[in-house]
Amino acid sequence: MFQRDDNDWPLTMLSIVLAEAREVQIPLLSAMLLGACATKFARILRVGSLDAGLGPTALFPMGLRRPVASATCIVELCCGIGLLVTAGQIGRGEPANTIRLATAVLFLVATCALIELRISHPETGCGCFGDFSTSPVSGRTVARSALLAAAALATIGLPPLHPPHRGAEAGRLLGMLLAELIVIAALSPELGVGLVRLGYSEPCELRRLPAVRTLTALRRSSQWRRRAGLITADVPVDMWRELCWRFVVFPARAADQEAEVVFAVYLRPHRPVIHAALVDAVTGEVLAWPAPPARRAGPGWSTEMKPPEPEPDPDPDRGPDLVGSGVLAASTDPGQGIPAYRDPPAPRPDKDLALYRNL
Amino acid sequence: MLEVRRDHRCCDRFAAMKTAVRTSRRRLLKDAVLGPPGDATDDAAPEFAEPGELPRAITGTVRDISPHVLVIGNGDSETRITLTAGATAWRGGPLDPAGVQPGDHVVVRLHRAQRGVADRIWANIGRVTGMIIERAADRLLVYEGTTKPRQMVTIPRRSRGRIQVRFPNLEPGYLIDVIGLRQSGTLEARIPGTSQPAYPVSRLPPPAMLAGRVPSAISGSATWHEPFEEPPGLLGALYPALDPEAGCAEDPVGGIPLRFARMPYLAVGSRLLIRNDCTGSSRTLPVTGCAAISRLFNDRCVTCGTSPRGRVADLTLASFVALGGELERGCFNATITIGR
Repeated sequence: MFQRDDNDWPLTMLSIVLAEAREVQIPLLSAMLLGACATKFARILRVGSLDAGLGPTALFPMGLRRPVASATCIVELCCGIGLLVTAGQIGRGEPANTIRLATAVLFLVATCALIELRISHPETGCGCFGDFSTSPVSGRTVARSALLAAAALATIGLPPLHPPHRGAEAGRLLGMLLAELIVIAALSPELGVGLVRLGYSEPCELRRLPAVRTLTALRRSSQWRRRAGLITADVPVDMWRELCWRFVVFPARAADQEAEVVFAVYLRPHRPVIHAALVDAVTGEVLAWPAPPARRAGPGWSTEMKPPEPEPDPDPDRGPDLVGSGVLAASTDPGQGIPAYRDPPAPRPDKDLALYRNL
Repeated sequence: MLEVRRDHRCCDRFAAMKTAVRTSRRRLLKDAVLGPPGDATDDAAPEFAEPGELPRAITGTVRDISPHVLVIGNGDSETRITLTAGATAWRGGPLDPAGVQPGDHVVVRLHRAQRGVADRIWANIGRVTGMIIERAADRLLVYEGTTKPRQMVTIPRRSRGRIQVRFPNLEPGYLIDVIGLRQSGTLEARIPGTSQPAYPVSRLPPPAMLAGRVPSAISGSATWHEPFEEPPGLLGALYPALDPEAGCAEDPVGGIPLRFARMPYLAVGSRLLIRNDCTGSSRTLPVTGCAAISRLFNDRCVTCGTSPRGRVADLTLASFVALGGELERGCFNATITIGR
């Protein structure tokens, strides 16, 4: 009487698909929770503070924001790991269901918090994925959280997972996982932010480039090699930036006349375009470049001196004391972490007299 | 009790001669190496304004006042200014010009067509823009940057409602910008200078990511600041994005992460063509310093329409008045063009 009718196969297939769909949720939820925890942790490392603007924490009084942010991060981590650990035979039954119920409650609470955040702080991002979740909470964000809550509820009572046996079953699972990922991606404003960041190139006018790099690039350039014989000091007398150009001025001497060599270095990390001009030190009038000397000289070498051949500098990036000379403001560049050569070693008159010579 | 400590450090950046020399020298050297600006034929007044060329703002202390003549002094010099029926005045609110009293510190905007005739007078006007660091009853202690002393602001009962509508968070850590009357070292706040940003300074939102080519003309809000160790009549502007390598003397030390302004990097001495979008007046002015506090605001100027972005320049008082700004309004919609 209850024999299976061949006409019931759509219902049978549906029940199989639903059962497999429930299985897919566990790795997916775990990945979402661990990803959320990792991005929040990355933000903490970057900002240096746990309570710095993490979405729904804005709903709490200032004093509670830090513990709430900490608790959220820890709960996400525990649920993410717990879901994975209890997916198989370990902790089957009550422990697994408890973890899954906790995950569902977490997402339900998050959904309610996001709705409240959207009403009370419409400009605040959800902070779900740290720095990626800065855009204001939208209906999509709330829907994603509700979807994940439903997914977590669906896993309660699920028997232990087993690896897929056949090709068709594995394909179905993969297809379902892919479909759900597409749905979650469509509900995630963070995806757009991430893609924008991947392809983002900062305009040179806004790019921070340490002055030390500019000087290093300048000293490696052919313009520098051609003009170095005229330059009488190792430290520039003035250096400033306008838009994409950094201007560096060195004192010089040309045809017994006090002069200045002005370099304009385009702010590009590698092989920048460099222009140079020789100007009168007093009037600023542009002077003609003198004929190139028969013998190439380094900066600071006078023609009377006959120094021994200088040894190659083991650290060509090392520059003069720009901070002490007042050309640079900071000893390090906070954006790049590159030190601006602050404490030069004592002069070695036999080797690098000219470098430290104060003309 | 709130205490105004004079522990600021300042710089010689505002020494007029030094700024002028550095500005003109850098301009000369830049033109020598890159050539003069290619669009020198435009009619946008690429030259710097000379102090004598824009004498529309005169500051000083009132020595005598009669219904027709105002005498203001500045050191040993004295200036007689004619008062006509068209002149208007402000001292915490609209005032008859004859109501200005001897001893008041005034800023006088001269008539555009008639030299020596007052167009508008602001008496004892002051402004405090900064971060609240202490509050006690109706008094606030405000931090305006490292190069300025801390400012004491009092909010009288009659102005409290008007100010709190725009500045609901008068708590330490939040920004404030108020205009009012200078009274023996404190500012009696009368008018909100802008609307308060919703964030405290410790929680500045991340700056927007900008891609592509940065336009040479940027529209936003131009504000003014009270002169402190600035020579009277200095024409120039503080700019929110000086090259970090050169440093911003006005930056607080070891405190606020200054990340907000996303504008092209410039240096002291760079040229800015500033146009008042409300009046059409424009002039090229040098960058004289760093607008360390202005860069933290993400407000809009609504003097004539809504400016598309926040503060792009913090003008000296003389520059603001010369470009047609009304001091009590706090800002004008401006477009700055860089690289002229």
